[in-house]
Amino acid sequence: MTIKAVSIRARLARALAVWALLWCAALGLAVWLQFSQEVDELLDDSLQSVAEGLIGPLVAQQLTARPPEPEPEPAPGDGRRFVWQVVEGTQVLGSAVGSPAAPLQTTPTPGFSNRPGWRIFGLALGRDSRMLYVAQSREERLEVQLELGFAVVLAAVPVAMLQILWLNWRVRRDLRPLQDLSLRLAHYDPLQPGATLGPAVYEELQPVQAAIDALAARLAQRVARERDFTAHAAHALRTPLAGIDAQLAVALLEAHEPLHGRLQRVRAAAVRLQHVVQSLLALFRSGAEVQRQPIVLADLVARLPLNPKLTPEVSATQPLHADEDLLTAALLNLADNALHHGATGLLFSTPAPGVLRIADDGAGIDAPRRQALQAALDAEDYAGRTGLGLMLAGLVARAHGGRVELPALERGFAVELRLEPPA
Amino acid sequence: MRLLLIEDDELLGDGLRDYLRSVGHVVDWARSLAALAAWRGEVFDAWLVDWQLPDGSGLDWLRAQRERGDSTPALMLTARDLLPDRLRGLDSGADDYLVKPFAPEELVARLRAVCRRSAGSAAALMHFGAVDVDLAARAAWLDGRRAELTAREWAVLEALALRAGRIVAKSELEQLVLGFDAELASNALEVHVSSLRRKLGRGLVETVRGLGYRIGPTT
Repeated sequence: MTIKAVSIRARLARALAVWALLWCAALGLAVWLQFSQEVDELLDDSLQSVAEGLIGPLVAQQLTARPPEPEPEPAPGDGRRFVWQVVEGTQVLGSAVGSPAAPLQTTPTPGFSNRPGWRIFGLALGRDSRMLYVAQSREERLEVQLELGFAVVLAAVPVAMLQILWLNWRVRRDLRPLQDLSLRLAHYDPLQPGATLGPAVYEELQPVQAAIDALAARLAQRVARERDFTAHAAHALRTPLAGIDAQLAVALLEAHEPLHGRLQRVRAAAVRLQHVVQSLLALFRSGAEVQRQPIVLADLVARLPLNPKLTPEVSATQPLHADEDLLTAALLNLADNALHHGATGLLFSTPAPGVLRIADDGAGIDAPRRQALQAALDAEDYAGRTGLGLMLAGLVARAHGGRVELPALERGFAVELRLEPPA
Repeated sequence: MRLLLIEDDELLGDGLRDYLRSVGHVVDWARSLAALAAWRGEVFDAWLVDWQLPDGSGLDWLRAQRERGDSTPALMLTARDLLPDRLRGLDSGADDYLVKPFAPEELVARLRAVCRRSAGSAAALMHFGAVDVDLAARAAWLDGRRAELTAREWAVLEALALRAGRIVAKSELEQLVLGFDAELASNALEVHVSSLRRKLGRGLVETVRGLGYRIGPTT
């Protein structure tokens, strides 16, 4: 099961963008509320000022109790923003053009008051309980507040956008050390002497880098121990094997003829044992380091101590860069496999750059068995499913960053070592 | 050829010594670096040096010999098979590098090649007038007829052929042919040289009075 990786940058950017928008909305709302209250007060002051300005001329006029010509009450939004009325009781003694026919207030109401659709300021005219009412439509006041709100939004949105851009840039910049760390890790070879990631840019990264350095140091120490052990094991195993072979060679020279066959069989077994030991040492080493070098396939095959019953052929047309020792160990075991399956001929070829194919003319295997082996190789599940030869071939190919393929053949068996990482 | 084998493993050292002797070489076997004192000043055709010895590194010993100007052909015998080790071995003055386990037949073939290269001849077949010498086949022909040589006679011929054109002192030739026991048979060398002249013609081995013997340059 694969888990989709979460991007810290994307999550942070998203969270900061939401936060910036919310913050701007809250700030805008607060500004709008504060300003609308101030505007309300300004409009009220205007009403009061208009009333106080009108009262002088109106006192001078002799308004009779005769009602003015009735006019239809203006519908909200018809453009009448300010109106005034002089009211006595329930009678309108005078009014501005466009003011409602009905009195704005039927009982004397000095100061500010409200009625549906209007904000009113009342001022006593001084006698006969006459009142001057100056009113402003609610629609007008609402329009002013909406314009104010729109202006606040207009100011807040660019600020929010700038904030989002700045925060995004900041997030990217602050996460760059993580990217740098990834790049440094990609080129980090803990097996190099004194390898370290160096000081961390951020305090938070210091423990991470320190932990990686400590892990690398442990890994390098372990690899060094394993290398030492391999060197000792190689010496302890290879030297007696060489001694056995030398003693058998002498024995073959000194022994009477009837013993030759027996000694030769023992010597052949000793050589097989050498191959197995070399393979085991190569297996042990395959996980460590690969020493790539250009391979001249014909020379490599010529140096292989193949069983004389096998006739090798070489057809190398493509370049091959590989670890010669690992390749030798794998090829020797594959050749042994071929011999066990009745092969007499081996064809070593390079069908593509970085691909080495070894095909034999033995009995081969059926398609289901081949597919089962391929599945085991692909899954790196060698135990009980492949022999030492294929297992070693698989490990050697993987040590080179590649894999092993078992192509179908009309006759015989073939193994392809793909020694390059997939493109 | 006279060979100095430096190998601490009894099984391998004993097997190699006997095998090399069985194919006609004179072999002296040192089991440690300290034991090499016994052969100080001796002349060898080649050294077979194990890298890891109980009292030090065969590689360091070889490097010291090279620094002293000794150019005796050397073949490293080691269990170290990694490329950096092989490069280190060759860079330290080894002429060839053989990874254990190896077949003694391969060791002998490589020895011949190393010694031929050291003598300035890449080919195994050498010609000295009417005499042909095949170092690989360990055989010699006079006018196309194969001469039957004893192991000692062959050793004399091989030692001189590998140094073709230069005078080889009698003492040096004795060491190369008879090994550690050279002093025990003071006239043995003359006997072998005389036999060689009888089988391959009087003109093949030239005696340079007071200095030693010489086989003329290859033709």
